[in-house]
Amino acid sequence: MRGYVKNCVICLASPSVLNVSNLTKYYGKFKALDSVSFEVEKGWVYGYLGPNGAGKTTTIRIMLGLLKPNQGEVQIAGANPSKNPVHALQSVGYASELPTLQTFFTAEQLLDFMGRMFGLPMQTRREKTKQLLDLVGLKEWGKKKIGTYSKGMVQRLSVALALINDPMVLIMDEPTIGMDPEATAHFRSLFTSLSKDGKTIFISSHLLDEVQRICTHVGMINKGKIVFSGPIEQILEDFTQQWVVEAELEKVTENMVSSLKALMFVKDVKVDGNKLTIELKEKKDVRGEISSEIFKQKGVLLSLNLHKITLEDAYLQALKGGQ
Amino acid sequence: MGGLRRVGTIIGYEWKRALAKKKILALIILAIAFQTLIMVAFSRFVGTMFLTNDAGSFMWILGVLEGQGLFVPLIAIMVAGGSMSEEYEHGTADILLSKPITRVEYMCGKFLGGFSLLAMIEALTTFVGVVLSLWFFGAQTGLQFAPLMFLAVVYSSLIFFCLSFMFSEVFRGSTLAMLMAFGILIASSVIGPILTALYSLSGQHLYVDLGKGIPTWAATSFPSLVMSELITAPRAVLPVADSEALYQAAIIIAVYAVIFIVIAAYRLLKSDVTKKTA
Repeated sequence: MRGYVKNCVICLASPSVLNVSNLTKYYGKFKALDSVSFEVEKGWVYGYLGPNGAGKTTTIRIMLGLLKPNQGEVQIAGANPSKNPVHALQSVGYASELPTLQTFFTAEQLLDFMGRMFGLPMQTRREKTKQLLDLVGLKEWGKKKIGTYSKGMVQRLSVALALINDPMVLIMDEPTIGMDPEATAHFRSLFTSLSKDGKTIFISSHLLDEVQRICTHVGMINKGKIVFSGPIEQILEDFTQQWVVEAELEKVTENMVSSLKALMFVKDVKVDGNKLTIELKEKKDVRGEISSEIFKQKGVLLSLNLHKITLEDAYLQALKGGQ
Repeated sequence: MGGLRRVGTIIGYEWKRALAKKKILALIILAIAFQTLIMVAFSRFVGTMFLTNDAGSFMWILGVLEGQGLFVPLIAIMVAGGSMSEEYEHGTADILLSKPITRVEYMCGKFLGGFSLLAMIEALTTFVGVVLSLWFFGAQTGLQFAPLMFLAVVYSSLIFFCLSFMFSEVFRGSTLAMLMAFGILIASSVIGPILTALYSLSGQHLYVDLGKGIPTWAATSFPSLVMSELITAPRAVLPVADSEALYQAAIIIAVYAVIFIVIAAYRLLKSDVTKKTA
């Protein structure tokens, strides 16, 4: 833990929808979670990242009241799901990773049953069932037994089930796994529009590109410990050691290298044949200044790229830092 | 009110889940076929040789009770043995218990759903038993007690239902739960006659008391003991009325059922929901 849990100050000002506080969980002697704390506010799309076995699913299962923590607690809308599941989970929708749904039901029957579990009146259940099957692209399959569905279809139905109660908080464990690219894109835009409607979305995912596209905030867990929790821009900022400009020239001269090294924002210049790797002191796009300097030295520039930092870079850096 | 609604929802779910299993449907069909076969055998062969004339008018009792020995406990074991465990095996326990429902409500719904389904199956076998006896043996005596007999059968089936339900939650594996419950059913069916034989040989009453402690004694004796209190029928159909044995059987069933349910509830309330195992 490097002290990157920065959202707590914000949370004091506006109460969080989901509050995970000091969670510790043992499986026998193995410590799966070690004092995990983070908060998620209304309208956030919170990506929960971490390598396999880091403790993501354990956190989610405690959030849903399926596991009992050895220490700490979870509050959803002010209620603890372990102690008061009826209140805490009333406004929660959950889609699990590669779910196994009740195969003896048809999609319509299962949606209706889940609607009953939330106490929805019959008319609402009917309307929601129709609307959700349409939304997830299973309109034609509503009357067929779930046992006949493909993995991707089950995953889509799982998202529909998570939305049956019009939840305030949507918890999803790898929601697009098993879906084809078209469905993945559809669901990505669905999650974005749900967050615009004010829903809070908590997504556990391995797909960093997906998380970077849809999440406003991320939490990172490694070996049961939170190594970062905060806005997505913050992680890119915090875990990027330096920015780098890569230049390809027709010919690299010694004068050129020394003049680039003399620039005040350049930390170091590395030469590899006709390629230059220019490490910057600041996180700033200085390609204009660099190209001017190269032209001054009569260099012929073939390409000039600012190496953009992805969430993957930051993620790997954060994991390294958390170890 | 919300709690009752949630329990009711799980009861409906449990019915649908259990009836979707072909094994249970097959057992119901087998139970009815067995009943029919026995009645045919009695009317055509066995009855003409061994039964007295007046026994024919009490054949509805035999028609109802004959399923008790094997098929009703088997159906009880099948329904209850998969009730909790299959949800863990298939990973559907996660889906159900991540909804706004308490674990107590969930377990009540599961238990009442399974048990009410078993009661319906017993109502069907009771009805079939009565109809077959009327068909093969003509007018029957004491048919007004048929509903009471049905209730006695339902009560007596609590033992194996609760036993299998407990194993289902404790082991969280349907095969193991059913095997354990079935093993106890077979073992106590074998041990019972051995203890009776030992009593006959030694004359020691201890063997009789031990025999009453095994689950099959109360489960199989209770309905016939209830009927013996109400109807005087030939010995071939019903045992001699024995109020003391009747109360003992009633208490033993209740004690076993409570112990099994408490163990299942303790396991469910105190432990984590296990992930998909199958």
